[in-house]
Amino acid sequence: MNQVWLYISIFASLISIGAALYLFFWVERQDPGTEKAQEVASWIREGAQTYLKRLYVALTIVSLVLGFIIAVVFSFDLTEVALGNVQITPSSGLRMAIAFISGAICSAIAGYMGMSVAVEANVRTATAANESLNKAFKLSFYAGSVMGLAMVGLAVIGMSVIFLITESADAVLGFSFGASALALLAKAGGGIYTKTADIAADLVGKVEVGIPEDDPRNPAVVADNVGDNVGDVAGMGADIFDSYVASTVAVMLLGAASTSLSSQYVILPLILCTLGIIASLLGIQFVKVGKDGKPGTALNFGTIITTVFFSVLVVILVLLTDINIGILWTTLTGLITGVIIGFTSDYFTSEGHKPVNETARVSDSGAAITIITGYSYGLVSIVPSVIGIAVATLLSFYIAESTGLPGIYGIGISAVGMLSISGMIVSADAYGPIVDNARGIAEMAGMDHKVIEITDTLDAAGNTAKAITKGFSISAAALTVLALFAAYAEVVEATGIEINMSLRDPIVIAGVFLGAMTPPLFSALTMLSVTKNAFEMIEEIRRQFRENPGILAGTQKPDYETCVGLAAQGALTSLVLPAFLAVGLPLLVGFILGPNALGGFLGGAIFTGVIFALLMANAGGLWDNAKKFIETGQYGGVGSDAHKASVVGDTVGDPFKDTAGPSLNTLITVMSLVSSLFAPIIAAFHLF
Amino acid sequence: MTVHLYFSLIPEALIASMLSPEEFGSYYAVGSKKKTAGQAIFFEIDPHFDSQYFRIKEGISRCVPHEDGEPKASTYISIYRVLEHVPVHALGKLYLVTQDGRTLGIDPSDTVPAMDGGLHLYKEIVPVSPLIASRLNPLEFYDLIVKNPTSLVSLHSIAFTELRLGELADDPEDGQIGDLPYSNLDHLREVLKDLKTKSVATKMVDRASPATFAYRTIKNGFYIGNESAIAFYPMPSSQELREMNYRWWRSANM
Repeated sequence: MNQVWLYISIFASLISIGAALYLFFWVERQDPGTEKAQEVASWIREGAQTYLKRLYVALTIVSLVLGFIIAVVFSFDLTEVALGNVQITPSSGLRMAIAFISGAICSAIAGYMGMSVAVEANVRTATAANESLNKAFKLSFYAGSVMGLAMVGLAVIGMSVIFLITESADAVLGFSFGASALALLAKAGGGIYTKTADIAADLVGKVEVGIPEDDPRNPAVVADNVGDNVGDVAGMGADIFDSYVASTVAVMLLGAASTSLSSQYVILPLILCTLGIIASLLGIQFVKVGKDGKPGTALNFGTIITTVFFSVLVVILVLLTDINIGILWTTLTGLITGVIIGFTSDYFTSEGHKPVNETARVSDSGAAITIITGYSYGLVSIVPSVIGIAVATLLSFYIAESTGLPGIYGIGISAVGMLSISGMIVSADAYGPIVDNARGIAEMAGMDHKVIEITDTLDAAGNTAKAITKGFSISAAALTVLALFAAYAEVVEATGIEINMSLRDPIVIAGVFLGAMTPPLFSALTMLSVTKNAFEMIEEIRRQFRENPGILAGTQKPDYETCVGLAAQGALTSLVLPAFLAVGLPLLVGFILGPNALGGFLGGAIFTGVIFALLMANAGGLWDNAKKFIETGQYGGVGSDAHKASVVGDTVGDPFKDTAGPSLNTLITVMSLVSSLFAPIIAAFHLF
Repeated sequence: MTVHLYFSLIPEALIASMLSPEEFGSYYAVGSKKKTAGQAIFFEIDPHFDSQYFRIKEGISRCVPHEDGEPKASTYISIYRVLEHVPVHALGKLYLVTQDGRTLGIDPSDTVPAMDGGLHLYKEIVPVSPLIASRLNPLEFYDLIVKNPTSLVSLHSIAFTELRLGELADDPEDGQIGDLPYSNLDHLREVLKDLKTKSVATKMVDRASPATFAYRTIKNGFYIGNESAIAFYPMPSSQELREMNYRWWRSANM
């Protein structure tokens, strides 16, 4: 029966990938617009492809090196090392290395597909906006769906095929590590790229020279639009791909480690993912702008209807099979918590609610008050999400226990439940940068103001979807790493070593401190990279304006390529230290301080990672929207003292919400996966 | 190449140029290597205009193309007391230039807008540039300052615009500021309250008001007059600007 489910999963994945390909070609068949619009779009497309090419070349090298290390290390069977019995099985190492590289490749393909359609859809959306909002919305959302459907399809097919061939959850862990390694670099690199360009373009263009957003006279405008694609499409896609796969693998590992569960509970997360794919495929059909012309309502309705479809499918699954009823309740716990946390994030980051309005109001008193108020609300925003995570953790644990399932398995299922509708969530999320780019192209190509008004409306809905996705992905990552944390303990104990993470043990405490230090340090490194790279780009933009006055006069074309090159080079060279932190530091802690300290390390990293991720994502979004709120004509509007202060707040918030914050999910997932993967070796070889 | 005569209000100057008004606006705001940059307001004036006060013919004769054939962007004829010596009938279109060099041309109107009640805020542009609050409507204000001054303070001629006060015009104490980017709001409210409660007709809001201001704060348009005549240049509505001059409107709202 398990094999049948795996074939069903593969079949559903193929449908999902097929639908993504169908939509990809459908988008390509739409009207690409005027020559001028196509020319502008080609600058963005070429910039994005150049960056991704360089990123993927770097990632290929990293993947091959890591793959080789994994192949060597996992050729040693250390399960009986305590008895002095070490066996060499090269096939195991090779299997793990192939799984690792497959994960990286699947993640890369999903990101590449998403970005490829995004850079085609942006200009077509702008052209469609010339006709109607509905047409532009449909085009941009379907283009976003390419990313969503490709991502879940590739993830599930990859995991299913590897499990079908190897019948080992450990091999799927290798697949997950491959996906995570790529995700970390894609997300952090994309985040550094996008904010380098954004901040530099704004500080010189808007603040110093006074030219509007997306003005073609700004030498950084193309890099800014490229950043939307590499950061928000390819980066965010890789991030959720990583969480999606990691949550599934964590539960598979827990299922495999549990002696009280039958084998169907090992593949149950894959079954849930399959139902999620079906729900997303159905839900996407219902995303249509109604008579009220509100794209935000359409996107939210899509999320809710997909949640309902998925819930119904899980009920049917439980009713028609002998799967424990506890699975239904723990899945629903995660699913509902995810949706609630997502919408809670929206409360803290959208205008019309107290946090944004209050931050805008006090901006009249200067940038310092804006920063303090926004930061404080960012801290407050942690509360509902953390309570949500705590409630979901406890509920799913006790529900699972009360229905005869291992409690920790219930927590993992809750994470899978949360991420099961990722197809729909990512579709809505990827829509955002597409319409943002469409707006930029409309500006740069000198399209009619009605096109810009329509793309403005579409863009506002995209920002809301983005806020919801961030809340969703951070919460899901928190539950995922809790499950991975438990999986780590299971893997260590499987080697015969009792793991003890008592806070009375100084080794564990040392690990907790080191772990707690890592997310803030990672955030600092990525944000310092942004400021360093932005500084260089600012100098370049100033140089161009200084040496060629014709650029501002509109008689000379700026040198866009230099700014694109600076952003790409800066982002790639900035990844070395953050990557070491994610992969190297857990291994150092493990091999030096031992498995107990590594457990403490993961605990510390998970807790500060979640807190920092929520704070940064929400505070950044809040500052951004406080500025936008003032720009609608509140508190003096554009040019007022309040506006100047809010611009400072927004600039501070940019690397918070788009560079450091979202990368932290991936950081804690990668560290948890590295620890679980290397746990048997660390258990065998450590200094203390 | 045709030589144009431009009367710049920010800063006050009479300039001969071989550039068209749009090119001149762009050059004046962003196109110079001499670091002069920023918002500009200027009139194109009758090319046949002459005056004993200015050496216009000499200025025009010096306005010749550069050696490489590039048109001469500017030959300054005067940088002082220009408004005083240019008659209103010589004024052509008024051009408003954003700080990033986008230029909007406005034609004069034969009629001045209907005068409403409430309080007013005037941004004097030339020859002096204070910010004045007043109970007087624009024509009464012009009359008080130029035609029939009742105090020692008077001007030979004036160019000014009325800025929007929004809710503050009727309710200085509690009215919302909306999208008006005025600094030192508490002081503005106090001045407006004084005008409501005391017998003064005008009060200074800011004696060293910045020369430039947000175009979106203009209520009706620009008034320019001397002892013998006044001209009114109506500002298009924001809706019209958005639909007909989107690029300018967008830059003006930065």
